[in-house]
Amino acid sequence: MLTLLEQLDKGTLWQSPGGIHPPQLKTLSNQSTIARLPLAHRFVVPVPLVGEQAVLTVAVGDQVLKGQMLTEGTGFTYLPVHAPTSGRVVAIEQHATNHPSSLPTLSCVIEADGQNAWCELIPHSLEQLSKNQILDKIKNAGIAGMGGAAFPTHVKLNPASEINLVIINGVECEPYISSDDRLMRDYSDEILKGIAVIHHLLNPQRIIIAIEDNKPEAAKAMQDAVQRSTLPAGIIRVTVIPTKYPSGGEKQLIQIITGKEVPSGHIPAQLGIVVHNVGTAYAIQEAVYQGKPLIERVVTLTGEQIGQPGNYWLPIGTTINDALQAVSFNPSAAQKVIVGGPMMGYALADLDVPILKGTNCLLAPSAHEIAPDVDEKACIRCGECAVACPALLLPQQLFWHAKAEEYDKAASFNLKDCIECGCCSYVCPSDIPLVEYYRVAKSALKIEAEEKRQAEQAKVRFEARIQRLEDEKNAREAKAKEAAAKRQSNMKSTDKDAVAAAMARIAAKKAQATSSTVSPEAPQTTVDPKKAAVNAAIERAKAKKAAKANTVSRANELDTSSAEVSVDDKQAKIAAAVARAKAKKAAQANTESTVQTPNPAETEVAGTEPTADAVDDKKARVAAAVAKAKAKKLAQAGQTDDSAVEAEPTTDAVDDKKARVAAAVAKAKAKKLAQVGQTDNTAVEAEPTTDAVDDKKARVAAAVAKAKAKKLAQVGQTDNTAVEAEPTTDAVDDKKARIAAAVAKAKAKKMVQASQIDIGEAASQPTVSVESTADIAPDAALTVTADSADLSPEQIKKAKVAAAVAKAKAKQLAKRAEQEEQ
Amino acid sequence: MAFKIASSPHVSTSLHTNTVMKRVAFCLIPGIAVQSYYFGFGTLVQILLAVSVAYLAEAAVMKLRNKNIKATLSDNSALVTACLLAVAIPSLAPWWLIVIGTLFAIVIVKQLYGGLGNNVFNPAMAAYVLLLISFPVQMTSWVAPQTIAMNHASLLTSVQTIFEINQSFAAEYFRLGIDGIAMATPLDTLKTDLSMGLTTTESLAKPIFSGLAAEGWFGVNLAYLVGGLVMLKLKVIRWHISVAIIASLFVCASFGFLVSPDTFVSPLMHLFSGGTMLAAFFIATDPVTAATSPRGRLIFGAMIGVLIYLIRTFGGYPDAVAFAVLLANMCAPFIDYYVRPRSYGHRTGK
Repeated sequence: MLTLLEQLDKGTLWQSPGGIHPPQLKTLSNQSTIARLPLAHRFVVPVPLVGEQAVLTVAVGDQVLKGQMLTEGTGFTYLPVHAPTSGRVVAIEQHATNHPSSLPTLSCVIEADGQNAWCELIPHSLEQLSKNQILDKIKNAGIAGMGGAAFPTHVKLNPASEINLVIINGVECEPYISSDDRLMRDYSDEILKGIAVIHHLLNPQRIIIAIEDNKPEAAKAMQDAVQRSTLPAGIIRVTVIPTKYPSGGEKQLIQIITGKEVPSGHIPAQLGIVVHNVGTAYAIQEAVYQGKPLIERVVTLTGEQIGQPGNYWLPIGTTINDALQAVSFNPSAAQKVIVGGPMMGYALADLDVPILKGTNCLLAPSAHEIAPDVDEKACIRCGECAVACPALLLPQQLFWHAKAEEYDKAASFNLKDCIECGCCSYVCPSDIPLVEYYRVAKSALKIEAEEKRQAEQAKVRFEARIQRLEDEKNAREAKAKEAAAKRQSNMKSTDKDAVAAAMARIAAKKAQATSSTVSPEAPQTTVDPKKAAVNAAIERAKAKKAAKANTVSRANELDTSSAEVSVDDKQAKIAAAVARAKAKKAAQANTESTVQTPNPAETEVAGTEPTADAVDDKKARVAAAVAKAKAKKLAQAGQTDDSAVEAEPTTDAVDDKKARVAAAVAKAKAKKLAQVGQTDNTAVEAEPTTDAVDDKKARVAAAVAKAKAKKLAQVGQTDNTAVEAEPTTDAVDDKKARIAAAVAKAKAKKMVQASQIDIGEAASQPTVSVESTADIAPDAALTVTADSADLSPEQIKKAKVAAAVAKAKAKQLAKRAEQEEQ
Repeated sequence: MAFKIASSPHVSTSLHTNTVMKRVAFCLIPGIAVQSYYFGFGTLVQILLAVSVAYLAEAAVMKLRNKNIKATLSDNSALVTACLLAVAIPSLAPWWLIVIGTLFAIVIVKQLYGGLGNNVFNPAMAAYVLLLISFPVQMTSWVAPQTIAMNHASLLTSVQTIFEINQSFAAEYFRLGIDGIAMATPLDTLKTDLSMGLTTTESLAKPIFSGLAAEGWFGVNLAYLVGGLVMLKLKVIRWHISVAIIASLFVCASFGFLVSPDTFVSPLMHLFSGGTMLAAFFIATDPVTAATSPRGRLIFGAMIGVLIYLIRTFGGYPDAVAFAVLLANMCAPFIDYYVRPRSYGHRTGK
């Protein structure tokens, strides 16, 4: 088994399927060397993509030199356009272009001054330039594939994958065309120099120059040039392939030379193969060694209606009319002028269009040279088209479906793999213009795909809009409720009303969060003012639970148990606070992934309930007020963690009146802060309000908070740091300090686990960390007091109240922290 | 001036449908000539009759459909259909037989389905089956080949017989054989003999058989084979269907012959009697009703070959070409659907 390289060296050829043998008719134009025509007076140079990818560098009235850049672009694939001769820019306007549609495109019209004076050219040798500089030179010379597709050459010379084989395409399989044939005969050494540049850039293992056997002179010339060239021996060879249309197609040529098929939807570079036209190789050489941009090319002017058929150097931008007039074009009636060959070329309606970089032939045939216009007849399913198809398609099935406009079915027969070579139409005994059907079907599929894409985009936009409207509506409703609740609270001023107002506000907040209404439950709570408060608290707790409600069972039990107890005024309020705390905890538990923490917390609370009896009236109210303030702040607060921080210390242990005042103040501040922004300073500002706080408690709380803050900050790093916090509590009252410290330590650990504050968050949001820890301390105290009998009832009471309040806060904050995290 | 625009390609081959059909008709000539030699001028009369009726019928339908009569008639497809039907029926069959058959083929089988290219069934074969089922006696009464017949009809007597002009001159005289017994085709004879307990050797000893194949029919088949080879050479048809039919029929017949030479006839007998070669080159290769891809055509042809053998050997009819072709016609769209060639750059056909 020979390797591919060995087979390439031997010149082994593979069979390409299908194909046809139309009359060649190349001798009409290939008998003389490439000539020049007198310089035309007017040139039309299309400057496409100006405004999209490029800008014009000239204006109307400017003098330009031959080879001067007319546009400058930024895109990787953008190729600049150059002036084909020296002269004056007389117009930059929409002008019909050389395209089957003749649709106008922005063009630069240049009036030649006859001097044909070059701009400054910078010649180089390969050694002087880096690969990137060479590629830049090729790009700036505006070199596009000269075989017809006009793909930017520098892109193909800078492939993502390694290239093993370069095929230089001198096949020229279309009838009539001989521009590559003549170029190879007349400029073989220059082509080899261009190939050397390609070799330098791609460094392939082999370079094959493929030429059809109907061009023996060209093959001979190239063979001689290869021998003269300086390229390493054994790398390059001329391979003559049998004449068959469309062997010059990229995919077909690769198949003939290597036996490989380019997978559908891929490019040859993925096989390590790249194909360049001989004309491109010539242009590369001009650009690199002489610094000349691509401003002229060889065009075959042929057909029986042309007086002097042959190959000519034509500046790009020469109008087809000028070119044909210069070679004695004599149009007949119903004359066709075809750009390209008779198989794939397109007929022009208007000849005032320019020669482009890919224009290799102008064919002006007499009536008997081309197929007469005949009506399409019925397909007899002879299958000749399938035999001729080089892409191994079933043209007849494609036609069947394309004609019936069943484009999806046509696509299922691999319509997109059709290369539009025209073999099927050529052999069709029924004169069916098959390729035309395929073009229509392809366009229809393209439009369909585009419409589908747009419809999908529109759907996404529509859904986003619906969502936005929904969100806005919810936000408006929530705002309205909040405003209503605030009005209500402003109207009344008794203690109970304040509590109720707070509850109402909280309910409103919850409603905002959950979109579910709490109000239906409210009417049930109307006994005496005290009970009302109790019930309200319970309702609140329930509402929260319901809102969060994935797993409410535990919280529910606790609620009902507290509700059933016929408590007095004081108890009621404590219970309310407790219930609230529990509810929050329960809610938090539901949202947390680790369920372990809430359970102990709840049991602790349950245990403390009986001992709460001793708490006095004032404190209960204080607790309520505090809760209110907190709740409000927290609810408002998506806004800022800081606002929560300030309000909390404010109310800790003030008496009744002060509590209300403080609450009001805190509320106001919280709002202000929420509006004003979220600066770290706000936390500082809030601190002075804590002056009013009861001495001892303040100290305790402060110390604990301090300790906790430290711990928490450290805990992020290590569990052991919790111990360090202990010494800081020395200043505090003995018993409390001990209890608080122990509890705080435990809690801090728990909390760290529970609220899942990771190191990152602890660091980035110090305020939150401090806050939550500070809250946890009393919470823990509550737990511990239940079994520590040596504490005075007074202390226990205070501790519990504070604990309940703080606990609630802690949960909320923790929850919020979690949400923010998410 | 405004120039003429058109879609590429701008050149085309000169082999058009009408040329293809004309060539098919020309390639039938050797077969028709030999058939006329053995079975009298009746065949020519039948062809003339069939072609006239076919063109008239097609023109009438085109008129009804408001289509261009000239364009349709000039595609020569009616000519081929008429010729194929005419050579398939007994040469001295009464005139109304071929008229009914041709009308059915052109009007119902072809035009009612949408005209050329849209018919599901081969028109000639569908008409043949209609006639065979409706008029079995007339359809199986072949005259004896002239080499063994006592009398053979002149052109005039053939016309008279076909048009049933001179009843006294007795169509029966020619239609019936030497001894007044209806002359069945060799395959029919063989089938009858086998069912009567004779061995193939005993049956083949009868004068209707000469050597290995049937008297007359061997020559006719050989002539159609020659015509078919010319068509291949002219690229009017591709080889796949013909080769597949012949090969599969040969394989089946060889197998049967090897297993039991007494009850199964030789492969040569199968290949060169009845309508085998006519079917293999002229009937089954009708592109409209056949599969289109090379592989599909091989399957299509093989199917016909096997069906011919099975029906001839085990079925109720002596020859089976028409049935086999119609059955395969039905399968053609399925074959095309499931047998798709692999496209360039694709791993599989779908």
